[in-house]
Amino acid sequence: MSKLERRDFLKLAGAGAAGLVGMQVMRPTAHASSGAEAGEQQWAMVIDQSKCTGCGHCTLACRAHNDISPEISWNEVIQVEPVGDKDAFLPRPCMHCEHAPCVDVCMVGASYYRSDGIVMMDYDKCIGCRYCEIACPYQARSFNWEKFDGENPAVPEWGQPEVERRPRGVPEKCSFCYQRIDRGLAHGLTPGVDPDATPACVVACPTGARVFGDLNDPESKVSKIINSRPTVRLRDELGTAPRVYYVLATPEAFEEAEA
Amino acid sequence: MITNLRTRFKPTPWIAWIAFLSIFLIIGVTGGVIVLWKGLSVTNLTDLVPWGLWIAIDLSSIALAAGAFSLCAVVYLIGLKEYEPIARTATFVGLIGYSMAMLCLFMDIGRPFKFYQAFIYWNTHSLLWEVTMCVGLYFTVLVLESMPIIANLKWLRTRYPKLTAKMSRVHHYAPYLAIAGLFLSSLHQSSLGATYGVLKSRPFWYKPEMSVLFMLSAILGGISITLFASMMASQLTNKAKVKDELIEKLSKFVGWALVGYFYWRFWSTLSMTYTYEPGRTEGLELLTKGPLAFNFWFGEILIGIFVPMILLLNKKTRSNRFWRMTALLMVVGGVIAFRWNINISGAMIVLSYLPGQPTVTYASYTPSLVEWMVGGGVIAYGLFTFSLGVRYLHVVDHDMIEEEHVPVNVKVPQTARA
Repeated sequence: MSKLERRDFLKLAGAGAAGLVGMQVMRPTAHASSGAEAGEQQWAMVIDQSKCTGCGHCTLACRAHNDISPEISWNEVIQVEPVGDKDAFLPRPCMHCEHAPCVDVCMVGASYYRSDGIVMMDYDKCIGCRYCEIACPYQARSFNWEKFDGENPAVPEWGQPEVERRPRGVPEKCSFCYQRIDRGLAHGLTPGVDPDATPACVVACPTGARVFGDLNDPESKVSKIINSRPTVRLRDELGTAPRVYYVLATPEAFEEAEA
Repeated sequence: MITNLRTRFKPTPWIAWIAFLSIFLIIGVTGGVIVLWKGLSVTNLTDLVPWGLWIAIDLSSIALAAGAFSLCAVVYLIGLKEYEPIARTATFVGLIGYSMAMLCLFMDIGRPFKFYQAFIYWNTHSLLWEVTMCVGLYFTVLVLESMPIIANLKWLRTRYPKLTAKMSRVHHYAPYLAIAGLFLSSLHQSSLGATYGVLKSRPFWYKPEMSVLFMLSAILGGISITLFASMMASQLTNKAKVKDELIEKLSKFVGWALVGYFYWRFWSTLSMTYTYEPGRTEGLELLTKGPLAFNFWFGEILIGIFVPMILLLNKKTRSNRFWRMTALLMVVGGVIAFRWNINISGAMIVLSYLPGQPTVTYASYTPSLVEWMVGGGVIAYGLFTFSLGVRYLHVVDHDMIEEEHVPVNVKVPQTARA
């Protein structure tokens, strides 16, 4: 010990600590998808709760188009407390948060932001630690405890698979049907307007409870609803800034929807 | 032939102990093969409680490995050289602890054979990235620190004298390794707590003092298990030699550190009782009144902190070998209980995300048979390796004097010398 003075050791430790602080300061520019770095389009979804009848077509279409095991729902439809005397439901896809806890915590960066705001999974990078599952406040992620190698009962009735099946040992979640958006855009279609470029759940919804579109386009249906009607985002107080907006049901809205 | 074998094979306590552990090892390997073959569906983990028994074992073994960095810092950085033999034991215990943790994690991740990707793809913002990097690097440090210990293997010494001489020489760099160890361990021991502490989704975990609690309990548990294992070994075999006064002095430190830990743990718990916070209050009730109450009050507070604190601070009981060992074992148990409670209490509380319904639901989890098999196997591996270390590497030998390490030369500017 003798020659290594405590002072020098403290200096060393100090340098290390300074390095760490530096890393922290650099962080926000390194990954945030919001603001200037964001791409031209920012996809968002609006779900009108008063129009949702809980039929579950969205879940089935989602399972078919994304080739999901019947044990898993990327898009769960949850029965919530009745509004007035009416049954009420709340469909829950991935919220595609602007500040997604799953992206923050993923050690290999398998969860990441696309420039259009979609929170994506790189299933090849994922090692299956399940930290993202614990970090997600919306329980939007489901782990593949088993390999899904059987037939998909939702196919072909509800659509054809458009993406690869996920391997055993990774968590999976809704991707806003990025494959439909990307292919649609490549063919000059507009997501949210043309069904072939729009998430399968939105297309499948028989009551039109789901609306999809670009937040950056003030003329898109989602922008119009968000700007004109009161909407809520789930657990907004956490600061995750979800990209799924809900128009909550009221007894009056229910009557209107039925009329 | 058979009679010949019979006469040569005399059952000794050592062989019985090794056979006993081997049974658990075989069961563990069987469990491991089942997990690799069938996947994690053989566990009772769910999407709501995706971290269970294995994580608790993994957290506990990392915590109990913390004696290595704390005692190496005491010896090589603070300069209390008389504790060097204990630091040697702690280093070996650390090596075992970290390898246990890595074994457990290998079983626990969904794609075990892609574990190396954790080192390839970096998300520097993730606490688990930091933990992975530090654990990987620190394991390397521990392997280097253990080189002189492994060089004690007689078989290796006679066969490759040059190699063992080189391995022993690593000890010259012990102070540098101690600096690296202190740095890496301070980072990841506390970050393991922060891994939970940063999660807004689980209100019972979401608090900054998680890091402090993890760090403190790790130092306590790490030193305690090293001292307990040394004393136990010296009771059972003459291959282990301990200096009781050294252990007693460190035990006194453990006693005082328990006071600090007690304060923090109590403060952390009490501060949560003040107002109702959805999820957090339910978590606290789960811990203090619900199904975890016994674990908490008895395992963590009474047996884990309070009783050993008194036993180790009271000179009469501390100088009594039996009571000291009992107290140290209690501390180890308390740290394990803390890790288990923290992991499970937070995971069991699920806060609803539905609008206007801040309701709390309770998830449940009981480890499956395969989880116990693998967990038992990992623990048996740890005991097995330590036993081999005591017998063949003299990891518990307080009479052994290590070669002097080179003093750290800090270049002094000419002006300062003049």
